[in-house]
Order: sequence, then C-alpha cells, then structure tokens
Amino acid sequence: MNPIAIEASSLNKIFKTKMGLWKTKTKSTVAVEDVSLTIERGELFGLLGPNGAGKTTTVKMLTTLLLPTNGTARILGMDVVKHTAEVRKHIGFAFSGSRGLYNRLTAIQNLKYFAELYSLDPEFTRKRIPDLLELVGLSTCGNDKVETYSSGMTQRMHLARALLHDPEVLFLDEPTVGIDPVGSRELRQTIKDLISFGKTILLTTHYMAEAEELCQRIAIINKGRIVALDSPDALKRRISGDSVIEATIQAVQAQVLLDQLRVVDSRTVVELKNSIKPEKICIRTPEPARVLELLSPYLNPQYIQELEVRNQTLEDVYVTIIKGDKE
Amino acid sequence: MIKSLVHSLRIYLAEAWLSYHGRFAITSPFGYIASKLGFPFFLMLFFIYLGKFVGFTNPLYIVIGNVLLIPAANGLNGVNLAIADERQWGTLSYVLGSPAPRLPIFMGRALFYILDGFITALLGLGIAALIFHLDLSKVNFWMLVLCIFLIAITSSGLGFLFGSISLVSRDGWMILTTFVSALYILVGVNFPVESLPPMLQPVAYGLPLTRGIMAARLALQGAGWGVIGHLVTGEVLVGAIYILIGYLSFHLIEKRSMASGTLDEM
Amino acid sequence: MKRLRWGLIKRQVAVQVQVITLNLYSLGLFVIQPAVFTAVGMLLSHAAGNAMPDLVYNVIGGGIMGMWSGLVFTSTFDIVDDRRTGVLEFIVGSPTSLATVEAIRTLTNVIAGLLSLSVAFIAALAIFGYSLKNVNFWGAGVSLLLLLFAMWCIGVFLANFLAWSRMSGTFVDYLEMPVAFLCGFMYPIRILPVWLQILSGILPIRWALQAMDESLLGNRDLAFLITHWAVSIGISLIFLGITSWLQVKVHDNIRVSGELSSI
Repeated sequence: MNPIAIEASSLNKIFKTKMGLWKTKTKSTVAVEDVSLTIERGELFGLLGPNGAGKTTTVKMLTTLLLPTNGTARILGMDVVKHTAEVRKHIGFAFSGSRGLYNRLTAIQNLKYFAELYSLDPEFTRKRIPDLLELVGLSTCGNDKVETYSSGMTQRMHLARALLHDPEVLFLDEPTVGIDPVGSRELRQTIKDLISFGKTILLTTHYMAEAEELCQRIAIINKGRIVALDSPDALKRRISGDSVIEATIQAVQAQVLLDQLRVVDSRTVVELKNSIKPEKICIRTPEPARVLELLSPYLNPQYIQELEVRNQTLEDVYVTIIKGDKE
Repeated sequence: MIKSLVHSLRIYLAEAWLSYHGRFAITSPFGYIASKLGFPFFLMLFFIYLGKFVGFTNPLYIVIGNVLLIPAANGLNGVNLAIADERQWGTLSYVLGSPAPRLPIFMGRALFYILDGFITALLGLGIAALIFHLDLSKVNFWMLVLCIFLIAITSSGLGFLFGSISLVSRDGWMILTTFVSALYILVGVNFPVESLPPMLQPVAYGLPLTRGIMAARLALQGAGWGVIGHLVTGEVLVGAIYILIGYLSFHLIEKRSMASGTLDEM
Repeated sequence: MKRLRWGLIKRQVAVQVQVITLNLYSLGLFVIQPAVFTAVGMLLSHAAGNAMPDLVYNVIGGGIMGMWSGLVFTSTFDIVDDRRTGVLEFIVGSPTSLATVEAIRTLTNVIAGLLSLSVAFIAALAIFGYSLKNVNFWGAGVSLLLLLFAMWCIGVFLANFLAWSRMSGTFVDYLEMPVAFLCGFMYPIRILPVWLQILSGILPIRWALQAMDESLLGNRDLAFLITHWAVSIGISLIFLGITSWLQVKVHDNIRVSGELSSI
C-alpha cells in the first residue's frame, strides 16, 4: 500500500482574465507557484496562509476542481488529472461558507442526493446519514430545510457531506469557521477521531491554536509559494527559541522604555502593540532574563499593570515568517 | 433641502451606473448586443409569421409594437432586477439596512436600462426600416422620442411594484417575467387593443404602456401634439399612479418582510 | 455499458422536481406561457377576421411553445442556480459526471413540459371543441415521443454552454426564440421563406414537430411520417454525438477557468 496519501510536485496555477470591452487585455495572476508537498497516510496536515495566499486554489487542484497549469498531484498514487473520476471516489472535501447545499431541501434530502452522486448503496446510506448527523450534532434538525440553518449548522452539514462516502482522504477548508467554542472543541475532537480511524486530512485554518493542537505538520503558504513546512514545534524553534514578554504599562513613557529595551540584543524585537493608554508592548527576545532585568525598576503596579512571559506561539511564528517574506 | 436633493441625485446616478455595469460586466459586446436586439428580434419574427399564418396582413403593426416594447421591458426589468438581484446576491439586507432613501436607490437603477432601451428602440426602428421597409419619412421625431422615453419611465413604476414582491418572495422576479409575457396581449403590441375581448379592454387602458404605444404609433405617422397630446397625458397620469403605488407597496412590504425575516432567503 | 443507476435517476428527478419544477415560476411558465402565446395567436386570428383559431397550430402549438420555453428556462436555471448556491462545485467534484446529472435533469424538464402540452390540448378539446375524429393517433404518439427525444438532445447540448462559463450561459437564453421561430412551433414551416426552411432542417425538433402536427391534422402518409421520424432521430443522434465530445471539453475548461463557484 502506498504510504503517501497526498503528493504535489511543482504545482502551478495561473489564472487568466480578460479585461476591456473592445481591445481586450489578458491579465495573468499567479495564484500558486511551485508548490510541492507530501502527506503520509494517517497524517493531519495544516495549510496556513494569509487571505489570497493560494490555500484554497491549492486545495481545489488537489480535489480535482481545478486543473493545474503545470506540475502534478497524486492522491493515493492516482494522478488528479489523468484519473479524476477515481480520485473523486476516495476524497471528501468541505469548504467554508454557507454555499454548497440546496437550501430548499432538508439536510437529509441533501445527503441522500449526494449519496447517489457517490453511488452509495441505499442500505449503507440509510444507516450512514443518521450516524453522520449525530456526529456533527444535527440529529434533531435533519428534517429541517437548510435555509433555516445558522452558518455554524451549515458548516457542520458540509462536514457531514464530506464524510458521507467514508473517504480515505479529507480536505477541510476552515471547518470551524462560524462555530461556537463548544462546537469547535467537539469538531476538533471529531477531526482527531477521524485520524485515529486512519483518515488523512489536509486542513486549512486561520486559527493558530487549532493548527497547533491538531496538525502534525504545517505548511505556511504566502503569495502562492510555500515559505515554511515543518511540525509546529520545529517551526517555533526556527525563530531561535525566542521568548515573548508582553507588558501593559502606564505612567511611563512607552517610547523611552522601548528605546532602552532595543539595546538589549540585536535580535530582540520590540514593538508597541497598543498606543492608546494603557499601552501594551511586546518584546521578542532570546535574552528574557536581561529584558526582565531592564524592566525590574518598573515592576510595580504603578507602572506595569500586567506582565506575561511565554514561549513563542505558532501565531508568533506565522506572523514572523509572513512579515519576513513580505520584506 | 438642497443637500438632501443632491444626495438623492448622487445615489440615483451612482446606483444607475454601478448596477448596470455590474449586470453586463461578464458579457462580451456580442453577448450584450444579442441580448438587446436578438431576443426581441426573433420574438417579433415569430409573431409576424404567426400573424401571416392566420391572415393578419399588417406585419408592420407587429414590428412597431415589438420594437416599442423594448424600452418598456427594459424599464420594468431594470427596477425589478435591482431588487430581485440584491436578494440573489445576499446584499438586500445591507442595502435596506442603510439609511439611504429607497426611491433613488431602486428607481436609479432603471436609468441606464431606460437609456439603453431608448437607444435599442431607435436602432430597432432603423433595422425595421431596412428589413421591413418601414416608412420613416413622415415620422415626428421629437414626439416619438418623447413617447419612447415615457413608455420606459412609466413601465419602471410597474417594475417597482413587482420588485416589492421580491422583498417577500425569492420568486418575485419570475412573477414579473411571466407578467411581461402578458403585455404582448394586453397593451396593443401585436394587434389593436380593440381586438381584445370587451372585458379585457379596460384592463389594457388601466395599464401603463397602452396609451404610450398608441401615441408612438401615431408619432411614426407624423402626428403632432394636437393628435396625441391626450394619449401622452393619459400615459403620464397612469404611469405616475403606478410609480406611486410601487413606492407605497415597497414601503409596506419592506416592513412586512422585516417582520417575517424573508429578506435573506435565497 | 454502465449499469443504469436507478437510484441516481430517482433521486435526481426528486431533487429537480422539488427545487426547480415545483417552483412558482416554472409552473407559471408551463401553464401561463402557452396561454399567452395561444392568446396572441387567437387574437391575431380574430383581428384578421377569422371566426375560429387554428386549433393545431394556434392552440396546441401554444403548448409546444410552453414546453420549449419551460425547458430552456429550467435548464438555464439549474446551472445558474447551482453556480450561485455553490452546489455546482460539489456536483463536479463527485464521481458522477456532470453530463450524467445534466442528462437526467434535462429529461425531467422535458417531461415536466408535457404539462404545457396537456393544458393546451385540454383547452383545445374542452373550450374550442377540437375533434379527435381524424387524428392519426399512432403518428401523433410516435412523433410526440420523438419530439421529446429531440428536445432532450438539444437541451443536453445546450447545458454544455451553461456549464462552460457564465458568459456562454447567457447565449443559451438567446436561442429560445430563434429555435421556436425556425421550427414553426405555432405555424406550418411552409410559410417561412425557402432558405429558412432549409436552415431549420438542422434542428431535429422541426422534423418531429412537423410529423406531429400533420398527424394531428389527419395525415396518414406513412412515407412522409417515416422520413420525418428518421431525419429527426438521425439529427438528434448527431447532436448527442457532438454533446459527448463537448462534455469532455467543458469538464476540462470549467476546471481551468476556476469559474465553478463564481456567481
């Protein structure tokens, strides 16, 4: 059995749009450039990036909805371009947003329809649908029309539809968008359970805590290119094991303090996060002890309201990498 | 007062251009021309041959009527689509949730459709002259221009009325399209209103367009204000009534749709 | 040959009926549209001084008009609505081809169009006293089946353009009246100029419809009917062949442009 579930090799996607009424000009937009990644069976892989980075375009190429301009992609060893129909039988995908369902039909009717598109056995479908609705927390409203659903409920329906045919590979595009914290936690647990059942999942998300909790490896994509790819811990270590110190200050000139802190170390990054009093400063440094020493005269509730010392989070890493890539 | 008028005028013009441009942004020049002239032209040909089969020996009557319906359909659709499209794109709540006055927002959208319909009608008459040998030598041009503009404006009032239905029903624009088909019977497009059964003739005269089309036909024959003045006046009055009814029904139905929560239904 | 998926057919028909056919406008089109065209025909006939309208061309022909308008509208609405609601992406992304889905949908739309024809027929019988005495029932029946087949072939052919892109989809609406005009939905083909009669020969609907109209008028000339049936079937199959080729192109093109989910 092929241990690789998803394999992309130098994927490129260029969109061409025509502009102008009589003399039309063609504008080319490079949405994805030279993206290569390999995801093993049973892995939960995260794809992070700012808006417009190329995440959804990459996912759509892998799910056969877009033809790559160049490059190849394979799902379970099958080429997404040459074996499209076969690939579709083995993958499930869910995009965020309220679109993608027949609003005038009920949830059960929608699932029955898609079950037929996936050629599922009626007996299997009969048992599968209630189980899925239970899994995503919609068992009490399966007979309600989708148009009555909230955005969170619609999001859950997308997941149910993606799991309908029990695919080996899942693509989840921001699955917890619009879902309340309790629901999100339950959904994340569901995703972990799916991994334990042997599924391979490619997840895109903007929630760093979610990516850190769920993903074994993460790729950060920016302007169509992958700029980092590793486990969350390894990515954090890339930023030199820096610590982050955040302080909310008052009755002190923030700028004076910042100038003092900047001389600690050339690698220390200091920024004013909030210029409205009380001001908040953020210091990223490999020398937390020296910074705290400099702050010690101000360690008084009169000057420092709050002080937090922590390790870098994935969000810090992400922001650093993206900002670095912009420069 | 002046500030409010200027504000309304700005909304009117901005809405007019943006919505019109947005509607046709994805089409090509060929597609645009086909939609303006193609469908009405072939529909007209269909009616001409239908008339020929049954022995109706005045094809020019059908030609003129169908050409004159173009600006009317444009005015109707322009306003109605303004409301129905907002529902489809999910922006109706945002538009109605803004403090902007309703009349210039939605009636403004008809402006370019009216201009468009006017130009298409003139083009259509030109083509009709070439293909069907329509005699334009006697036409009272300015009276004809007035009639065509009038038809387009008065029909936009109907569009507002039908557009109101789109506030409570996602199928409102569809109801309008069915109604537009009925216009081919009622307002003297393909045959004189006098050919209608007696009980339908008051309905015909109660609609905008009927007098406007009659007036335009007379203007094509060279008639002046003395002959068609009463028809034009009648058309203005009927059109104004429909615009008022449309505006009032819009307000009433807007309130009702907010109570029933149907603004966002797709 | 692939196994016929009855489950998919049943389910697709059910969804189609619920989402499209039982839609107010669709019903309006199927019932009101033929009434409007029939009324125009009748009133034109009245204005021309005829005591009675032609029941085959004016009345029943209005039903044919309703069938065709209904088919064009519902087929357009299918894809446009799917694109707008985002469902099109999920249909394309499933193992079932869009072509199969469109074939079933178009068949449902064509059969739903029989409502128009039935209404027109009943009106002709009940209101205008249309006599069935001379009707060639076998000829009319076979012709009607071939007419449905021809409409289905054209409908599936046009669906390609609707799926191809938003812009090409608008082109389908413009074909509604040219086809009705060329095929003589409400008048005999012979009144068109000869060159238009020749042009209309490329449409299978024209041949099946002509055979049906003649059968309703009592024509029992078997040679005439068989010729028309054969030509209708042949051209329909040509359209199907072009459709099969086009569907592969469309499937590739819609995945190049990225317009699958664009409104």
